[in-house]
Amino acid sequence: MKDPGHHMTDDGVHIQWPDGSPELRLPPASPLHGNLAERIARAGRPLNTRCGQRGLCAGCTVELVTGSFHEKNGAVIPAPAAVKACQGDVSAGEGATMVVPIRSLAVHSPQVVSSFKVNIPAAQDPSVPVVAGSRDHGLAIDVGTTTVVVALVDLATGAIVGDASALNRQVEMGDNVLTRIQLAGEQKARIALQDAIVKRTIEPLVREVCSAAGVGPERLAGAVVAGNTTMLHLLTGTDPTPMGVAPFRAPFTDHRILAAGELGMREIPAGAPVHLLPGFSAYVGADLVAGAMCTGLFTEPGPSLLVDIGTNGEIVLCHDGRLLATATAAGPAFEGGRLSNGTRAVAGAVERIAFPDGRFPPAIEVIGGARRAIGICGSGYVDFLGLGRRIGLLTPNGRLNGDAWEALPPEHRHAEGGSRGVVLNPREPATTITEADIAHLLQAKAAIAAGILALLRRAGLAPGDIRRVHLAGGFGLHIDVAHAIGCGLLPGFVPSQVEAVGNTSLGGAWLALVDRGILTEMTAHATAAEIVELNLEPGFEDSFIDQLALP
Amino acid sequence: MTTLELLSEAVASGKSKDAKALVQRALDEGTAPVEIVDRALVPAMASVGEQFKNNLIFVPEMLIAARAMKEAMSLLEPKLLAAGITPKYTAVIGTVQGDLHDIGKNLVAIMWKGANFRVIDLGTNVSPAKFVAAVVEHKAQLVGLSALLTTTMPAIVETVKAIRGGVGQAVKIMVGGAPVTQQFADEIGADGYAPDAGSAVDRAQALVGAA
Ligand code: B1M
Repeated sequence: MKDPGHHMTDDGVHIQWPDGSPELRLPPASPLHGNLAERIARAGRPLNTRCGQRGLCAGCTVELVTGSFHEKNGAVIPAPAAVKACQGDVSAGEGATMVVPIRSLAVHSPQVVSSFKVNIPAAQDPSVPVVAGSRDHGLAIDVGTTTVVVALVDLATGAIVGDASALNRQVEMGDNVLTRIQLAGEQKARIALQDAIVKRTIEPLVREVCSAAGVGPERLAGAVVAGNTTMLHLLTGTDPTPMGVAPFRAPFTDHRILAAGELGMREIPAGAPVHLLPGFSAYVGADLVAGAMCTGLFTEPGPSLLVDIGTNGEIVLCHDGRLLATATAAGPAFEGGRLSNGTRAVAGAVERIAFPDGRFPPAIEVIGGARRAIGICGSGYVDFLGLGRRIGLLTPNGRLNGDAWEALPPEHRHAEGGSRGVVLNPREPATTITEADIAHLLQAKAAIAAGILALLRRAGLAPGDIRRVHLAGGFGLHIDVAHAIGCGLLPGFVPSQVEAVGNTSLGGAWLALVDRGILTEMTAHATAAEIVELNLEPGFEDSFIDQLALP
Repeated sequence: MTTLELLSEAVASGKSKDAKALVQRALDEGTAPVEIVDRALVPAMASVGEQFKNNLIFVPEMLIAARAMKEAMSLLEPKLLAAGITPKYTAVIGTVQGDLHDIGKNLVAIMWKGANFRVIDLGTNVSPAKFVAAVVEHKAQLVGLSALLTTTMPAIVETVKAIRGGVGQAVKIMVGGAPVTQQFADEIGADGYAPDAGSAVDRAQALVGAA
């Protein structure tokens, strides 16, 4: 787009990327443009505007090298400075140079998001109308708050013939469900959110899987979608407002069948059915019903647990025909949110930390084998917390043990004001963990642990009584289970009880696609579950405070 | 160390059981309840708040200390009440309508108690009308509104409006909670904002003119 008022002179805005990709040049700012984060997104490189451009997070921070930044509140900040791109633009008509740290990009490097383990048998009886030879494929779709996965299934065999995943484009408008619920109260934003998921996320993925597999989209007989309750509301353009405030009721959690055309899914033949799987409640959604189905939780000899750890932790317990489900709020710490060097699990993130011989320096592993570490992701922090106690570096309160810290080689010690930290690798500036970081992580792990214990208490069980803990989701697949237990995230279990089962939400969608009988079973289980509201659970606060400690 | 010094240390370091035992010992030694509060608990919480502000302790330790303080206070409050001793300033606090989070709010409440405020805790999911009624009933100088959800921030706005409509400027309003910012507080006409329970004490004292 040409901006007639400006010529492309050196007055332009130069944006550099540390990953070596070519410099982006934007015209100088004008008041008509919106903010800098929007302009960069329109140029094709969306920043991590996860708080919905409200200036609450530091996700879209850019480093201004020359020029100045004009915040929308009127303040003018001269370079060099770190500024939040969503809070204004460079000063109108002036040139500027800036560097975007990798952490500020809404990048997505698909982890193993399409692998899952199915523990129950399924019939060959698809839930969408198959016409042999012409309409003989279907889609299993998992709509996550962050990641969306589409799997293409040959309905004659049940085989997955291709899959693709991408960042849920709604992330640009807010990284967590509550921010999106808040936005979706207004119709305009609700339409934008629906477009972001249907047109800008799912459609390109459908095109991608179909063309990779050489299957024309006209051969799609329909789809099954799993996802959390908020995502299913936003997918259907339903106002989710009641889910945002007490008593947190969802407008719908039942199994629904819509025509692809009704949802605006243009890649799928308009009349083809799209099933939305049933959910348990507003905060324990169809992704958990699908997961519980897929892992065999409903049918295996229990007692067993399904635990999915994300910004919200969802927990389902099955014992003696009784089904209990709850959601606990962890917050973004395990995704790196609010931590000094925290990052999502993307290329360049430290994902493993080990202490050979039980002391410093630690050995670290970086995702993608990247040369430079850009930060630390959840599984790395879990290693640190799990091992920190064992090597005597951390106290039960999550503080650095004074003597042990003093004894570290100086280049591994971080001190700023009164607060202390450790540097995993002194040659890598983005590998520092501070005591403040640990305090945030402890709150996240305490919320999950206290949630698990509350369900167990309700059922009169102790961790040792559980036959199997199915650990679902991408995070579960990447953490070291022994360390998760060691730091109390999975409180009181032993590693042999725990099995990482992968993306069982997608797995359940696949099951329901190939075997229509599964749909009725899911509905029966979803409606039979007792939903435990942790706020009303006596002793939750006490348990949360107890669980803040490291075992 | 004296019993009161030991008590102060037990509270500040979050040793709930020791704290309770030491309160009992102080009472057995004949120390007046009000003395125990003023000379052990108030300094303990002041030190906790101070350390928190200076990043010397963090939320987990503060919560543990607050729990010890609560245990200690539970032994003393009935006695203070019976002796007709009430602090000079009264504050009403609650989590706004639609929100059930209360751990942060409870922490602020206990810190205020630790700074010698009489604190009326209305709990969670508190309607604007209930806030107004409590302010009137208890003749509060200060009212604290807490919210932890983006979606319940509008309830803060409603509550501020209701309080201003009900009692005007007669009570100071303080707002807080993870999604709340100073800017938001200014925009909606609250008198004060605190990012954490440590500074919530300073703000409270400044607002009522106790500092
Ligand atoms: C009056 O003046 C003042 C001044 C300062 C004030 C103040 C008032 N009030 C607070 N402050 C300040 O001082 C305190 C001390 O320094 C601070 O208080 P805080 O409350 O911030 O800090 C406390 C001391 C400790 N921190 C906490 O107590 C909150 C911790 C986290 C993990 C959390 C918890 C524990 C819970 N939760 Co909830 N929860 C999260 C939180 C994520 C996180 N890591 O922060 C958060 C807040 N929850 C969230 C959500 C979504 C929810 N939670 C819910 C439920 C729960 C639990 C029941 C599991 C539990 C609450 C238990 C209880 N009785 O309060 C649900 C809703 C029910 C409800 N509570 O209303 C549910 C809606 C969904 C769910 N997962 O089930 C998220 C909100 C997202 C958003 N953008 O709004 C969240 C950030 C986690 C996330 N998923 O990202 C300051 O904010």
